[in-house]
Amino acid sequence: MATAGANKRIAKELNEITREPPSGMKVRLVDESNVHKWEIIMDGPASSPYEGGHFKLLLTLPIEYPFKPPILSFQTKIYHPNVSNDDKGSMCLGMLRSDEWKPPNKILAVLNMARNLLVEPNAEDAIETSIAEQYRGDRKAFEKTAKEWTKKYANAK
Amino acid sequence: MADPADDERSEELESLSAIYPELTRDDNDLFHATLELLVAPNPHVSVLFHPQVVHSSFCSLDEILEDLKIDNPSSIVPSSAEVVQPEWQDLKYLPPLALDISLPSEYPTSTPPVIKLSTSPDYFPASYLESLEEECTKLWDEYAHTAVLFAYVDYLQQAVEDGFTGVSGKQALKVPLTYKPQLLDFDKSTKRKKFERETFSCGICLEPKKGVNCHRLATCGHVFCRACLQDFFTASITQGDVASVKCPDPTCGRADGAITHRRAAPLKLRAIPPGELLQVPLDRTIVQRYVDLKHKKKLESDQTTVYCPRKWCQGAARSKKYPKPTSLDTYVDSDSEPEDSPTTEAEGSPTTKPTEKAADPSADRLCICEDCSFAFCRVCLNGWHGDFVRCWPRTAAELTAEESASYDFIRKNTSPCPTCSSPTQKTHGCNHMSCPQCRTHFCYLCSSWLDEGNPYEHFNNPKKECFERLWDLEEGDNADGGVAFVGQRGWEAAVEIAEREAEAAEAVGNQNGENQAGGDRQDRARDGEQEGRQGQRREELGNEERAGIQHFLEMVENDEEDGWDSDELGDEERFNLEFR
Repeated sequence: MATAGANKRIAKELNEITREPPSGMKVRLVDESNVHKWEIIMDGPASSPYEGGHFKLLLTLPIEYPFKPPILSFQTKIYHPNVSNDDKGSMCLGMLRSDEWKPPNKILAVLNMARNLLVEPNAEDAIETSIAEQYRGDRKAFEKTAKEWTKKYANAK
Repeated sequence: MADPADDERSEELESLSAIYPELTRDDNDLFHATLELLVAPNPHVSVLFHPQVVHSSFCSLDEILEDLKIDNPSSIVPSSAEVVQPEWQDLKYLPPLALDISLPSEYPTSTPPVIKLSTSPDYFPASYLESLEEECTKLWDEYAHTAVLFAYVDYLQQAVEDGFTGVSGKQALKVPLTYKPQLLDFDKSTKRKKFERETFSCGICLEPKKGVNCHRLATCGHVFCRACLQDFFTASITQGDVASVKCPDPTCGRADGAITHRRAAPLKLRAIPPGELLQVPLDRTIVQRYVDLKHKKKLESDQTTVYCPRKWCQGAARSKKYPKPTSLDTYVDSDSEPEDSPTTEAEGSPTTKPTEKAADPSADRLCICEDCSFAFCRVCLNGWHGDFVRCWPRTAAELTAEESASYDFIRKNTSPCPTCSSPTQKTHGCNHMSCPQCRTHFCYLCSSWLDEGNPYEHFNNPKKECFERLWDLEEGDNADGGVAFVGQRGWEAAVEIAEREAEAAEAVGNQNGENQAGGDRQDRARDGEQEGRQGQRREELGNEERAGIQHFLEMVENDEEDGWDSDELGDEERFNLEFR
């Protein structure tokens, strides 16, 4: 897509999301002059171990967007099987994978997917397999650590 | 004749033309007019085009099925090409019903309007049209001999929309076969006109677009604007990602239509045929590239493919399995049908394929290049020498500078897929790769197969070399060859062996002269390996791996030897052939 068309689509999506923000999310551009980097503050969903936390995510749109998928990462450390447990907080699953991405997918869908993952982690497609195993085998311990981390890193009271 | 302006008849026709602007009035006869009514049966009408039918008639769906069965010789008698088969189609639109109205001077008080109905071609049974015509007189009676035209036209419209399909339980039309092109053309062009007037929301640019600027994908019916499809497909083809040239709709091909965060089973989406890409329209050169790339991918995924030894050509040898595509408009390749599953694509896994090939070295040595028509030998890559000449495979020593440069690049900047060996270069993201060619899941660092169900286990196992290295090279595998992986990729190992063998062969050739060089090739390869450069890389190469590749090379050579174990040629001649 010509750059102008791509920027128009991004602006449209940004406009839609700012006008009607998805529940529990705040979305803004990192830098007003660059529509390719979005900052999202995602509230931990109620009755998940992340409840009360505020997680900062970075959404980077490649120049080829929407032909290539957005890149989503947690800037706030989080204890989760689908988020890499390092300083990058990378995610690599579902529609974020370039072989599964389709241009009509929207950023809103990506954000909703991320939020759904907080409610229900996907242990079958986990980046952190040890966390996934704990999630499957010892849910209590998983939730305990996830809660602690939420408190420690995501400002939960 | 009374003043036309005051005439009731004239007034009626005027008001009718206000409602139906397409009403055409006769300049010579003020009380004569024609009107064409669109015939759009709801939801559609089944039409049987029958070679033995002269006059159209209504029939039931059962009759259609019966006709198709009885007249289908393949089910009863052996088929003959001469027999013209009945054909059956569901049509949404039929050519218009032409209504010819004459209002006699006694209308409406004492005479009904004179109505003539016709269609071109006459796909309606004559009796049906007659009954519709008579209906006008009935209506005129019902309306107590007053103006009846509007009511009648309204009645006709309903009749052709859903009425006639219910005529005595007959829901389908049986018409002469000769009507087929006309009816199909009309149906198609009307559908297109309707489509062009509609408005669609393009899922890619998210803008509302008029149908005239949109394209409906032939197999799934999803609609996108032409500009977006052009951009998307052109970008994919330019980047060589021909696997993406499919319907962009995320729900397309998914039974439940749901987008989930779970990894979906591989979709059986149809690749878009090049003929349709031209209609989008895509640039001809891009579509040509698409067809060429797909052809090339198929050839490459088949390890038996042989390429033309002429340096300026490098076309593939003609292959019955994958014939070279000729016309873009008509070309249909196999994956315009549902995509092959990775297992069938990878038929002939790396372990079996070379053996098969080696076991039968004499079979079909003659190859003809599909590009330049050069006839050459599959084994020695020289011009065709006839069936009874003994020859030897060329060695890596004969790699051209260009070839080695490209191997070098491939070696430094790509990792091969463990299933199909396609070199893959990572542009960004984690090291869990899925092969763009055959969808195998593998590790970018060491080319190990990864379990699709639990691909990350490989990076979380402290015993593996790739432990905690899922995100190495996240920015992509750079052209500077900055690979942070300790050890060699399988590919690197293979190239290195080839290089070493080449050097060794040269060294032996230089030192020992002709007689010795004519000795056992296998020994020489082993000597070469011992004398070869003792690079640092080599130590890193695991013994097991080396043994494996060595074994493979030996196997190939032995089998070749077995196949050619005759005394047709002496050692001297054999040497000459080898070092030509």
